[in-house]
Amino acid sequence: MQTRKTSQESGNVLICALIAILIVSLIGANVLSNSTTRLNVSSNHVRAWKEALEAAEGGGEMAFAELRKQTSTDAAVRASQWSGWTTSGTTHTSPQTTFGASNLIAQTAVETLYFDASGVFHAGANPDPAQNNWYRLRSKGTAPLPNLKRTGMDDALVQDGQTHFAAFGSTQMKDIVARSKGDSLLRKIDFQYDHFVSTYGPNGDGVNKTLVAPVAAPSISRRIEQIVTPVTPFFDAAIKANGIFYGLGSAAYIDSYDSRNGPYDPTVKTNPSSPYYKDSRHGSVEINSGTATIKGTIYGDVATNGGTVINSQYVTGTVDNNVPFTLEDYHMPDTSGWSYQAPGSGAGKLPSSVTSSSQTLTPPAAGTSAAPNYYVISTLSGKLTVNQVAGEETYVAIRVNSSNVNGDGIIGGITVNPGVHLRIYFDYNISTKNSDLANNNPTSTNPLASNLQFYGISPPRDANGNPVRTQTINLNSGNPGTLAATFYAPSAAVNENGNPDFIGTVVCKTFYANGNIAWHYDRALNSKGELLDFRIASYVEDTR
Amino acid sequence: MRLGSSLAARAFTLVEMLIAMAIGVAIIAATLTTSVALQKSFYSVDNYFGTHIQQIRIVDYLARDVRRGLSVVSSADKHTVTVNLPRYIIQAGDADATGSNIGTPRAPSLAVVNRDYNINYLPTSASSSSVVVYSISGSSILRTEDNVVTMIASSTDSLLPETVDVELANTEYTTTAITFQPLSVADRNGTVVYSTAYLRNRRRAIPTPSPSATP
Repeated sequence: MQTRKTSQESGNVLICALIAILIVSLIGANVLSNSTTRLNVSSNHVRAWKEALEAAEGGGEMAFAELRKQTSTDAAVRASQWSGWTTSGTTHTSPQTTFGASNLIAQTAVETLYFDASGVFHAGANPDPAQNNWYRLRSKGTAPLPNLKRTGMDDALVQDGQTHFAAFGSTQMKDIVARSKGDSLLRKIDFQYDHFVSTYGPNGDGVNKTLVAPVAAPSISRRIEQIVTPVTPFFDAAIKANGIFYGLGSAAYIDSYDSRNGPYDPTVKTNPSSPYYKDSRHGSVEINSGTATIKGTIYGDVATNGGTVINSQYVTGTVDNNVPFTLEDYHMPDTSGWSYQAPGSGAGKLPSSVTSSSQTLTPPAAGTSAAPNYYVISTLSGKLTVNQVAGEETYVAIRVNSSNVNGDGIIGGITVNPGVHLRIYFDYNISTKNSDLANNNPTSTNPLASNLQFYGISPPRDANGNPVRTQTINLNSGNPGTLAATFYAPSAAVNENGNPDFIGTVVCKTFYANGNIAWHYDRALNSKGELLDFRIASYVEDTR
Repeated sequence: MRLGSSLAARAFTLVEMLIAMAIGVAIIAATLTTSVALQKSFYSVDNYFGTHIQQIRIVDYLARDVRRGLSVVSSADKHTVTVNLPRYIIQAGDADATGSNIGTPRAPSLAVVNRDYNINYLPTSASSSSVVVYSISGSSILRTEDNVVTMIASSTDSLLPETVDVELANTEYTTTAITFQPLSVADRNGTVVYSTAYLRNRRRAIPTPSPSATP
């Protein structure tokens, strides 16, 4: 059978098929569009956003490791500091480092800084060479995104008719709502340009704003800022003891002052109207898990690590028994960069053992805090006076590495004259009179403790981890006077048997004192002393 | 054989029409039902993943703020989280704003408190840090930073943050769990997203009085 075809019927099927294909295609495109957006967000944006922070923190870690090379005992390690970095003044900038399976990119700038006595920030190195520097780490981490530059974001909340990315410095900028919503407010993707540089400048301070391509496009970058503090031996405590603390005398007291604000004034601690009153309340005592028996008044706090405080009523500040406490053995720092002066006689020399009651020393050169004149003697039983070099600030380090039959390495006297910064490293004991340790820098009436520093090198330990010998510091009574010095001897038992005016701090294994001592902690010591390590004191993310 | 065509033979019979209409209706009904079902399914899946992404956005917001925070505390009902942040960026109206420095990072200052260094980013030494409050408003999650409110998610009907104060390490962290109830599913089990974020800064004392939980 054959039916006759008519031309009017021939186009309908094609049109219907095309319409059906169009409808199916629209549905498919819609599904694909939504799926792509969701996939980008869930599998790429979130991952990249998190990895960008990991990259930034990784850059910070690399900078921190570079900083810590300063404290290495290996001269080669110290010499390699900032190798491959770009240095401009006191700022060091790392190269761009790519790492990880996602090709993360990190770059960090390390800026030197310091805080003055009022806590105000200053860029650059501290003009006081005795103070250790602080550092600011600004790190940028970038995570490249797969896909094309038009990779989408999930801005489900964005249909609000508001202006996105408000003008730099505008009032709207404070209102973060104006900078979009949804994911693009949280996870800012750089497509064609680095939005941070173009909006805020490369340093985020509004300077040198320009259109630059991001390091990878598309990508997400995050920026963090960390402040690094030097870990120093004398931070914010008049006395630190790993074991017991006993003292001082019943009529004694411990207070504090800040020598950067002028000489010590005994009236400040009881005068709340004084602008330096708060500086007088840091005569603090810290111990580990032992017992602190308080005698006399402490114008400060007492902190223990699960220890016991007896007579806490004599503490004007707080008593906190939940403060972590760590005191590691102290080892002789690397001296390879110091200006070693061999034993001898004559100008600028010291004999191998100082026995003379009138031994004087004027070093051949002034030296620096980082590279002092360095002497090694076996014992010091005489009287040593150190003079400055031709009106220059003079830096001297002396190691006393042996002892007499009683185990004492230092039983004599030391006088530090104006302009001299003396560090004494001792392996054995000290047994001398308070009055035999004279610090006249800058003056005998207003000495700074940081100009006479004692470091007790911890005795070696045996196979069981026990020290092979004990170490003691006996400061015996003499004519009462002013003793301005610092003692950092974490393995030593300290006995203060006199009643001097003591300016400075003691860090030791155990502490005992029974005299009516007026003890003044100098807050300028916070950043002074041997650089032990670094610590991150602050972390902030620039979320713009 | 050839069939001739006539006007009388061109129409369908009533039975043919009824059968054809029945088949057509059935096809259309099936198509519509399938389309509606597909639409519902697609909507449900889209809603599920859309909400899931908002869950992730919430925990990412919280984690970001907790990491850079100075302290964090959650309310007793665990539905409000308060984070204190450094005032890192100089804003218009700040005491140290000069016009040209608005929108730039603030230089830090130093204070020694409780035998520890406190690095502060404050307009003046007497200023307080920024306060960010996460709260629930209806089916939305709000983030309020210094009284500026941002809706960071919607349709996520249960924010369950939990803050644990760990004195031992002198740090603090938040553990957050967020769930939602998917469309057409009565049970919210299986939608929970967990997140734990640690403060990078040493925890500081919670300032008093605490800011209000809701804007």
